[in-house]
Amino acid sequence: MKKSLILSIAIVVLALIVTGPLVANGQKEAAAQKEVTLNWPCIWVGEDAKASAVADIVAQFNAKYEGKIKVVIEEMPSYDVYDKKILAQISGGTVPDIFTLKWTPDTRDLYDSDILVDFTKDLAAGWGDSFDKSVLNEVTLNSQTKTIPFEIAITPIWYNKTLFEKAGIQGFPKTYPEFWDAAAKLKAIGITPTSQMTGGANAWTSMLWYSHIMASIGGPDVWDKPLSDPIFVQGAEILKKLYSDGNTTKDAIGGGPAIPSGHYLAERTAIFCNGPWFIGNIRKNAPEVYKVTELTSAPAVPGGKSGAQVGFIQTLLASGATKDPAKREAAVTFLKYMTLPENVKRISIESGALLAPKFTFSANDKVDPLQVKFVEAQKNASFIVSHFAGKFSASVVQEFGPALDKLALGKATPQEFVQMLQDANN
Amino acid sequence: MNKKTSNARWILLFLLPIVLLYTAFFIYPFGFVFFSSLNKWNGISHMKFVGLQNYVNLAMSTTFQLSIRNNIIWALSLGFLQVGFASVIAFILARKPRFWKGLRTVYFIPKVISGVAIAMLWKAVYNAEFGALNAILTFLTGHTWNVNWLGEFNSALPAIIAQEVMYIGYFMIIILAGVMAIPRSYYEAAEIDGASVLQQELHITLPVVWGTIVTSMTLAMAYGLRHFEATFLMTGGGPGHSTSTLAIMMYNKIGARKLGQASALGTVLVIIGFIVIVTLNSTLGRKSLTGEDT
Repeated sequence: MKKSLILSIAIVVLALIVTGPLVANGQKEAAAQKEVTLNWPCIWVGEDAKASAVADIVAQFNAKYEGKIKVVIEEMPSYDVYDKKILAQISGGTVPDIFTLKWTPDTRDLYDSDILVDFTKDLAAGWGDSFDKSVLNEVTLNSQTKTIPFEIAITPIWYNKTLFEKAGIQGFPKTYPEFWDAAAKLKAIGITPTSQMTGGANAWTSMLWYSHIMASIGGPDVWDKPLSDPIFVQGAEILKKLYSDGNTTKDAIGGGPAIPSGHYLAERTAIFCNGPWFIGNIRKNAPEVYKVTELTSAPAVPGGKSGAQVGFIQTLLASGATKDPAKREAAVTFLKYMTLPENVKRISIESGALLAPKFTFSANDKVDPLQVKFVEAQKNASFIVSHFAGKFSASVVQEFGPALDKLALGKATPQEFVQMLQDANN
Repeated sequence: MNKKTSNARWILLFLLPIVLLYTAFFIYPFGFVFFSSLNKWNGISHMKFVGLQNYVNLAMSTTFQLSIRNNIIWALSLGFLQVGFASVIAFILARKPRFWKGLRTVYFIPKVISGVAIAMLWKAVYNAEFGALNAILTFLTGHTWNVNWLGEFNSALPAIIAQEVMYIGYFMIIILAGVMAIPRSYYEAAEIDGASVLQQELHITLPVVWGTIVTSMTLAMAYGLRHFEATFLMTGGGPGHSTSTLAIMMYNKIGARKLGQASALGTVLVIIGFIVIVTLNSTLGRKSLTGEDT
């Protein structure tokens, strides 16, 4: 009898341990039903140039919709980790309420699935007027728009005008033979010509350089060509030279994003490549370099096209599909709020980023001079092509850095470099 | 109801929670990983059964072969070098030399510091342009060193392993606790018999704490087999995959949206871990040096 009693108590305790949290959770959910909470794993946090403006806009939204909608930012300060976390969440069946992603060939998989909110009808009902039609068309597949274009970019060549003048170089070289001459002059005064990197998720800075080189070789349709086309080897030969003869820093091999930017900000290198989102960083951390930075197009390869720029949709906003109409409505409400002209303008002015939703600067707005140079570089471009990472699958892009390691260290020829990329495609 | 049946019911009842937890957090996830390893899956669309194709692809991959090699190097380095150093230091500290308490703390402190912070620190030390290691070598040798320790094929893996191996604090504390528990009278008797310090360590300390050392080696090797953090932070597996490990490769496969292959790597990792641990225990851990089961 006594044993049976103890046994019964033990079973009840065990049952409470197992089911208790579930019951408690259910009660919590019931209590929170009035307010829709939207979780946003967000990359624009910490030291990111958009962090402050985005945090304020979210706070304003939460205040405006108090008791109805609450956006909760989950801080994710690493771009490389962010993409993997989002994919892990998606594959685990818990797509975030709000998240950002890049426009790549793999984005098609997301469109083919039913895991994203389809904004087509919302955009057709007037929200679409907030965007250039061409940009919206670019993110529309099979008549469906499941992402909202937010950040656009061009990534011109940045150079330090003062260092160029010290080296006796008049203006930025227009062709690669002139470029190598200029590089020699910079080295003669103890300056490493270019900032490069092979590390990170896609060797970002060098991947952009390769995209510039390929644009000059292949023209506006360069990415329509398969990797087996000899032009990719031709481009790799120039990329290899950028890593040879002291044309970049020794720590570029294996270096992450902080290496090329750090050298440029410290005036150890004179040439850099990145997008407008870096304006906030250089303005804050290296104001002297910021003042003497000029933007231009990359040199043309002999016989190639000149004046091209590398441009693309950098960030898309998206929302995980839900069966709860209130949650869907809340997500659309928030995204509409994020893309309001005044909010977009604020983020653009504070960070220097170029944003897709339409807005206009007034005479009183303190528009960053470097941001103006970005707009001019975009206008002056003879043509604009996307970058390499935007046109090839994630596995090819991921192999770019390791293949570049081998190319730079002389362990792979330009042909083998391209072969590694082709193999990754299989 | 006889006593034996009643006891069995109690045993089953008290085992139930752990069995449930083990099933929920190991058996089920591992089963899912194994199942998905037999499929082509990008994490978004539906899985497509491909049998053992993911394993065949892995076996043919040079990066996979490199990763296996690196994992074995990691396991051996941590199991034998790190635990070896930890044992020697523990033996010395157990003799309570001057400042032994301070030294014990100094050796252990790195273990309470974030691994991320330590990796960042070493990344700076190894930097080719302004790293402390090149500066010290330049000062000592009189000629300029600008080796990219983490960016050269020959030096990257040894550089990461070296910084990891020297953090012996965790295993030193475990072994030290074992050594300190040995009765002082054993050593006094040995001293009376004329045994030197080295003889005392070899014939008293080592046999008594052998089980603890084997356990430490098992833990260290298990860590080596699933190594990720320092390599990911310091080289990301580069240059050219030369420092990649199975865990890094698995992470990269997830990024490349090849989740079927990532799962195959996960399965391989579990199997290799199982084989290594069983082998280690069946060879080194079968009997302690005193002849007792460990």
